[in-house]
Amino acid sequence: MTLQRWVGVFLLFSLLAFSWGVPLIWPLDPARQDLMVLLTPPDFDWSVGVTALGTDHLGRSLLARLAAAVRLSLGLALIGVVTAAVPGVVLGVLAGWCGGWIDRGLSLLADAVFALPGLLLVLLVLAIAPGSFIALYVGIALLLWLEFFRVVRAQTRRLRQAPAVQASRLLGFGPVLLFRRHLWPELAPVVLTLAAFGAAATVMATAALGFVSVGLRPPVAELGLMMTELLPYYDEAPWALLQPVAVMALLGLSLTLLAGKDPR
Amino acid sequence: MTFVSLEARALRVRSRGVNPQTGQPDQLVEPVSLSLRPGHAVTLLGETGSGKSLLAQALIGALPSGLVAEGEVLVNSVQQLTRTAAQRRALWGRMIAVLPQEPWLALDPTMQAGAQVMETRWLVGGQPRPQAWQGARAALRHLEVEAAETRLPGQLSGGMAQRVAFAAAHTGDAPVLVADEPTKGLDISRRDSITALLRRHVEEGGALLTITHDPAVARALGGTVLVMREGAVQEQGAAEEVLIRPRHAFTRALLAADPEGWPRQAGGGQIGAPVLIARDVGKVRGGRRLFSGVSLHLAAGEVVGLSGPSGCGKSTFGDLCLGLLSPDSGTVERPAAAPHRWQKLYQDPPAAFPPKVTLRASLMDVVRLHGCDPAEIARLLLRLGLTEGLLDRLPSQVSGGELQRIALLRVLLLKPLFLFADEPTSRLDLLTQQETIGLLTAAAREQGCAVLLVSHDRALLDRVCDRVMTLPAAA
Repeated sequence: MTLQRWVGVFLLFSLLAFSWGVPLIWPLDPARQDLMVLLTPPDFDWSVGVTALGTDHLGRSLLARLAAAVRLSLGLALIGVVTAAVPGVVLGVLAGWCGGWIDRGLSLLADAVFALPGLLLVLLVLAIAPGSFIALYVGIALLLWLEFFRVVRAQTRRLRQAPAVQASRLLGFGPVLLFRRHLWPELAPVVLTLAAFGAAATVMATAALGFVSVGLRPPVAELGLMMTELLPYYDEAPWALLQPVAVMALLGLSLTLLAGKDPR
Repeated sequence: MTFVSLEARALRVRSRGVNPQTGQPDQLVEPVSLSLRPGHAVTLLGETGSGKSLLAQALIGALPSGLVAEGEVLVNSVQQLTRTAAQRRALWGRMIAVLPQEPWLALDPTMQAGAQVMETRWLVGGQPRPQAWQGARAALRHLEVEAAETRLPGQLSGGMAQRVAFAAAHTGDAPVLVADEPTKGLDISRRDSITALLRRHVEEGGALLTITHDPAVARALGGTVLVMREGAVQEQGAAEEVLIRPRHAFTRALLAADPEGWPRQAGGGQIGAPVLIARDVGKVRGGRRLFSGVSLHLAAGEVVGLSGPSGCGKSTFGDLCLGLLSPDSGTVERPAAAPHRWQKLYQDPPAAFPPKVTLRASLMDVVRLHGCDPAEIARLLLRLGLTEGLLDRLPSQVSGGELQRIALLRVLLLKPLFLFADEPTSRLDLLTQQETIGLLTAAAREQGCAVLLVSHDRALLDRVCDRVMTLPAAA
């Protein structure tokens, strides 16, 4: 592992510790409003925690909201990537290995989906069920599996031609053993890199949709939504707007560093 | 500048840094003295890793940055090692030309062959363009490849590409030519054509330094021969002397490893039941008829050679026998038996193993899959002269010769009826080749396995096979 990846791992673990640690230490409700303390600056009073990082325009604790927003983004990224990677890898191996009409059919499907701009596809799905978490997740997974499919298919096609695979087939290896010995060791690093990129893309897409008010709906604590809500108060409370922006940047940076080199 | 001589006096090569284990720099080439004169050929003969290429690089001043040359290199009696890299580079192309290994890879695939030959004359030779074109055409005509002028390298046959590369390297009529393994991986006829080109350079008054592992090339070129091993010259002298009456034991072993000098293996062992009957088989690939009407009867325990010019379909015929391909005409009959008893050995040993799995895991997969006796591995290791420790390495961590023997071991575990060995030793050194082929044929005869052995070296097949089948050149 390179230093770059270690930095990515460290950043990601810090964010995870923050987002899951905060509710354990301070039992705060991210949706609880207190109109007596609107837009208070951070007082770094960790004993109670409500105003440790300040409050927003409705008097909600920014500490609690940031932690909830990171949990939401990372949770969505994780399940989104897993549900995209599994069919992406399975179909990619199938298409690359079998060739013929299976390959042609699956490639046609992938190309058709690929022809739509990514965010537009997610918007289409969201239009069916506005503001729903499930719709957002389905839309993102639908977008992400393509990357896995295309890269895995190309690698599998190349590996299938190798004399080593022919030798193993002559030795009587079945499909499972061929996959374990020949395909997975070559595919694994690529798939892991794609997964990290995919997670970063998911975080960005969720925030972008929230920011333009077509993603998740208030009062959910979500990074893009927080930015858009706090934007009108940037003059009075710049520190409040800056917090979701900084966390967003750190999330993106950690996942991109973790991904390493772009395999495409 | 006329060329009088290129001399090395006690030339040696060491690493620039210090080896942490010994506390001293690694000595890679022991002191060597040699002299190149017009009309004279010098040949460095030795196996892979014997320091031949390093010595040549030290002579022309192209050593990698981590290495240092010491001693003396004199061009026309002018000391070279004290000159700057730029001064030495000025000699390249004008005084010293280098013909790289596998020269067709040195051609630009997107540029017409004639222009590439012209370009070196124009840019390196310093001739005006019209003259450079004339010179290029004359050079191509001289080598009998005028037709190549307007073609791209991909449209040339291997032999033509080789001569074009030769014409491009030989620009500005540099008097000293350094050829690094010019015949590696070539069949006999192409090898002979390139040695003829090199000889012509000598006969026309040039000096030639050839690096090769093939004693036949050294014999054809004549002149002076230096036999190298592990960075040291073992024996040095006139070609007739060294190659006919070798004094050093290593030279003798190297010469005996040339298939020309192998003893004929006694064939005629037990010939058993037929394992393969191919009748009038034909195959078309890529719109080209490779062969047709080929028949082969193969019985258990027989070793049959398969020879033929490059691209005649030797590998394709083997794949037909294995059932990996089906023939376009004719029939291939094989007795009913488990499919894993038809096996293949590959030309490039590392390509036959999954690269990220240890050799032991690869072998144990086979043992588990077919319920072989694991003790058989130990017995075969001993039989093939391998050590147990090798199995814990990755395929990239063992030598080509060892890996090919492990591939043979893996195949023998399955008690094959038929083994198709597709040029199993063409990437190996001569000594390793002799050992590997000997083990292959002996082990196959012991197990009663039929072998179809492909090689471009007819002499090798004549020595070890019961009979040899030749495929004609493809249409």
